[in-house]
Amino acid sequence: MKKFRISPPVAAIILAVVLFLLSGLLPNGYGSDVDVAISQATNIVRLAVFLGVIAAGQTLVIISGYEGIDLSAGSVVTLTAILTYVIVSGENAMVIPALLVAIAVGALVGFINGLGITFLKISPLVMTLGMSGVVTGAIIVINHGNVSGKIAPIMTRVIARPVAPNIPIPGAVVIWLLFGLFMWALLERTTFGKNLFAIGTNRVTAKLSGVNVTWTNIGAYALAGALTGFGGFLVVGNTGVVFIALGQPFLFPAIAAVAVGGTLLSGGKGSYWGTMAGAIVLTLITSLLTTMQMGESVRRMVLGATLLALISLYGRQKSFRQ
Amino acid sequence: MKKITWNSLTTRNPALFAAILLVLVIVINAIVQPNLLAIDTLNGNMRVFLPLILLAVGQTFVMICGGIDISVGGIVSIVNTILATQVGLNGSIEQLWKFVLISLVAGLLAGAINGFFIAILRLQPIITTYATGFLYAGFALFLLPNPGGGIPRAAADAYRTTTPLGIPLAFYIIAVILLLWWFLRSTKYGRYLYAVGGNAQAAYQTAVPVTWVIFSTYVISGVMAAFAGIAITLLSGSGNAEIGNAMTLTAITAVVIGGTALSGGVGGVAGPIMGAVTMGLIQNIISFSNVNTWWETLVKASIIVVALAAPGVINLFGRRKS
Amino acid sequence: MNVSLSARNIVKRYGGVVALSDGNLDVQSGEVLALIGANGSGKSTLSKVINGVVVLDGGQLLLNDKPVQFSSPQAAKEMGISIVFQELSLIPLMTIADNIWLTREPTKGLGLVDRKIIEKKTLELLSLFEGTYETVLSPDTVVADLPPDEKQIVEILKAISFDPEVIILDEATASLDSRQVQRLFELVETWKKAGKAIIFVSHRMEEIFRIADKYTVLRNGFTVGSGEIKDVTENDLVKLMIDKESVLDFTRDTYDEETMNQKPVCLEVNDLKTEVLAGVSFKVREGELLGLGGLQGQGQRELLLALFGDIPFKGEVRFLDESVHFRHPRQAMKKGLALVPGDRNREGLLYIRSILENLLLPSWRKYGLPLKMKKSISDANQVAASLNLKMAGLQEPVSSLSGGNAQKVVIGKWLMRSPQLLLLDDPTKGVDVGTKGEFYTLLTKLCAEGKTILFYSSDDEELLGLCDRVLVLHDGKIRSELIGDDLNKESLVSASLGVTNGGES
Repeated sequence: MKKFRISPPVAAIILAVVLFLLSGLLPNGYGSDVDVAISQATNIVRLAVFLGVIAAGQTLVIISGYEGIDLSAGSVVTLTAILTYVIVSGENAMVIPALLVAIAVGALVGFINGLGITFLKISPLVMTLGMSGVVTGAIIVINHGNVSGKIAPIMTRVIARPVAPNIPIPGAVVIWLLFGLFMWALLERTTFGKNLFAIGTNRVTAKLSGVNVTWTNIGAYALAGALTGFGGFLVVGNTGVVFIALGQPFLFPAIAAVAVGGTLLSGGKGSYWGTMAGAIVLTLITSLLTTMQMGESVRRMVLGATLLALISLYGRQKSFRQ
Repeated sequence: MKKITWNSLTTRNPALFAAILLVLVIVINAIVQPNLLAIDTLNGNMRVFLPLILLAVGQTFVMICGGIDISVGGIVSIVNTILATQVGLNGSIEQLWKFVLISLVAGLLAGAINGFFIAILRLQPIITTYATGFLYAGFALFLLPNPGGGIPRAAADAYRTTTPLGIPLAFYIIAVILLLWWFLRSTKYGRYLYAVGGNAQAAYQTAVPVTWVIFSTYVISGVMAAFAGIAITLLSGSGNAEIGNAMTLTAITAVVIGGTALSGGVGGVAGPIMGAVTMGLIQNIISFSNVNTWWETLVKASIIVVALAAPGVINLFGRRKS
Repeated sequence: MNVSLSARNIVKRYGGVVALSDGNLDVQSGEVLALIGANGSGKSTLSKVINGVVVLDGGQLLLNDKPVQFSSPQAAKEMGISIVFQELSLIPLMTIADNIWLTREPTKGLGLVDRKIIEKKTLELLSLFEGTYETVLSPDTVVADLPPDEKQIVEILKAISFDPEVIILDEATASLDSRQVQRLFELVETWKKAGKAIIFVSHRMEEIFRIADKYTVLRNGFTVGSGEIKDVTENDLVKLMIDKESVLDFTRDTYDEETMNQKPVCLEVNDLKTEVLAGVSFKVREGELLGLGGLQGQGQRELLLALFGDIPFKGEVRFLDESVHFRHPRQAMKKGLALVPGDRNREGLLYIRSILENLLLPSWRKYGLPLKMKKSISDANQVAASLNLKMAGLQEPVSSLSGGNAQKVVIGKWLMRSPQLLLLDDPTKGVDVGTKGEFYTLLTKLCAEGKTILFYSSDDEELLGLCDRVLVLHDGKIRSELIGDDLNKESLVSASLGVTNGGES
């Protein structure tokens, strides 16, 4: 006997579609205009890209288990966005070096997180929250109140504009799909990915099966940092401006997106496809609230309640009495 | 004869590290600020540290029981916004008292919500309080979208200048906390706290009401966060929905350097109180040692990370040697 | 004061696994009932049911002939039922006194715990085992600092501290030395006289015949027999414990010491020491199935883990004529070692992951980048087929498998690497009879192929039936080496209990 179950990523997609259809019924929704509906849907997916990429690193560290979480992601986004902005300074030629710097700086922060968590046995929450402070401090030092820089035209062209004049798919969405493919391959088609699931499920078993638990764990945090760095690069490519609070608003929705996508918050199980679906759902909820002219406070409360509802569904622990 | 290691020492005296650190920062602080121990400076310092001390004490209960509460910042913000919006700069002292009571009830309720999800539904503490924290912060913003409001000047003045018998008010409050703690620890409830944190399954088999003990710690943490919110409102005299955000990490750091392990089962409130004072003095040292303003956040955050890492580093070298 | 406790047709399932199908027992005042059964037969589950720690799925408990339901350990305690847990129920960082009186602390005014009374009462309790302690025990000693036997004693004292009517001793003697067991049995006699009912869960025959009045035998979750101890012999009980169609009458090639001695040495261990092991030396030759025996927890597990590089050790190890000192299982694995750990779920499996991923966990690196999935699946299918693994598909989670099949996955993941030396830590624990038979055939076959096996089992019959040679460990040392005619039940049991003086190494 097999119980019929919808996998969480599919459930998230269904939820997204239902929410989107319902949003048409709002007084200022798209109503019966199909063209407007499509352009709205495209826009939501485009906005979800940035959240989705930032949530990729979070997916990795949550899969790595043992209360894995990366609360430094928000400030890393800001830092790498600012670095990109400053390095590029409007030069197309500097885009690739800036991208590499963004990824390397993100990886470095993640690597330090990993070292503290594994060798010094600091809990991921405390370690990454602490690093978040350090990175924010670094941002203030670099920023000195204001920075001068500029993004390059090619970044806007590739990230923010449609792929081709007659194809209304934004470049960012194409990048995201390729990125999703990369994440899938990383998790499902590499030894690292398989070992990551193993250490998230049971570290004793993993070690006794020859997995280097410590370095796999450090690798997860370093890689998460690198991916978040890439996220920062994309974000600035889209917005074109930087400010100190640029990255922080992405942090909570990113974690919620991972949860919505069905990744087990206790580790060992999950997928990036799920996180992508989760990012779309959360972006949709946010834009719905904006359409309904709800303020920042309501947005936060709804997001908080959403995450709470989801962990109540997925996240129950074993009871003492069996 | 058992070998004395750092580990065995800190297991027996969890507050040892905090005490060493406290002496260290007092000495450094006295060098950069010679009048540190003058009664006015002491009063000025302690009333600034008090909110953090209260928050850290509440967090200690949760952490001894093996949990964590990262929603406390949100609760502080709620209390601050309740007082600032409902009492107002021109409110009466009676009204202030009334809303102080309401604030405490709000803290209790917020704690009970955390306790319900964690103890009764058995969700993971980190992610649950992260979600509720976001929710609470949103609610605070809902009450007070823009900084403003306030409490009667007389109340803020009283908080600033009350020094019965020439001793700052904060010391009386610390004394009361220590006395209550000493009392509580010698009751059955005190034993239950350590038993649940030490080994929840064994405690359950021994018929300790594990669920209610865990629930109670979140309620205590919520109420203590409300007291912290009241204290910080008396200190600032005005309202700001973001006021609690930064306090969560500082409070957890204070508890961790105060010798309470995140894994539970050890610790007391004396350590976290010392930890909170240490955190405050570090801020003091930075302000007095002419660190460039731009560098302040980075320096402070780095010191926090180093303080969090120190016990781990000591243990790491201890392991290497043996 | 008279008390009687009965269990009728108790059923208990953990997820899909049935731990108890039809558990029955009766015990009354002034009696010691021995609850007997092989590992995994449901003894501990039945004791947990009686104590209210687990929810029962069927059946009834009768206390003084009235049906009772325990909704929690608290409820059972209030009815006067107390249990000494096999996995201790102590809080490591609390003191002896705090542990013993937890939830029943005597209080004085204002709800303060009365330390003086606690200390006095604790001293009284501790004096029951006076003279058997290695260290000076005071009520303020932290439990984490105690050796295993003294922790066990604290657990016993905790269970009797509230003067219960029914006392369950679940493998309480396993970590006690003979003087402590003697003292415990004297106490049991006084409890009998005081009209208490005692349930003694054990698989040590000698102790059962010393102390018990009645017996109840469990086998695979069923009560298969009960009666008066005086009417039965040890053999009768053993027969009841083991299934009729015993798996042990399969034949293996006779052991030829001379041929064996000509084979090259696979593993040579010299004076291996860990926190538990006090200097162990031995040799195994290629194609040999060397057994490790002895009571549980005498260092067998540590020996296997140390050889596999999981725990640090001192001493010399030579593997296939090369001096090795593994510091991580990965290094051991690369040289051709494999370890099947003792606790399947906690150490051997990724419970929520698929069978495929469990089988391939040590081997992914061989499948390149990106991983060649088709090849990995066909390799896994091959191993699964050779092990006769019963499954719905490789993508199903391991949690969907029965105990025996799950254990096949643990062995299978190593077979995929064709190791030279297999270290097995009690691999048949909680495995059904049919699968056990398959394992025996598999192990014999592997040895015939020239692989070497180091095999610890808590089941003496298994060691006797399967091994060429058995090293008996006691207290971190090799107590005896049993070979040829010496390899029989009597010598194995006496060596396990540490009473022999033959073959000291």
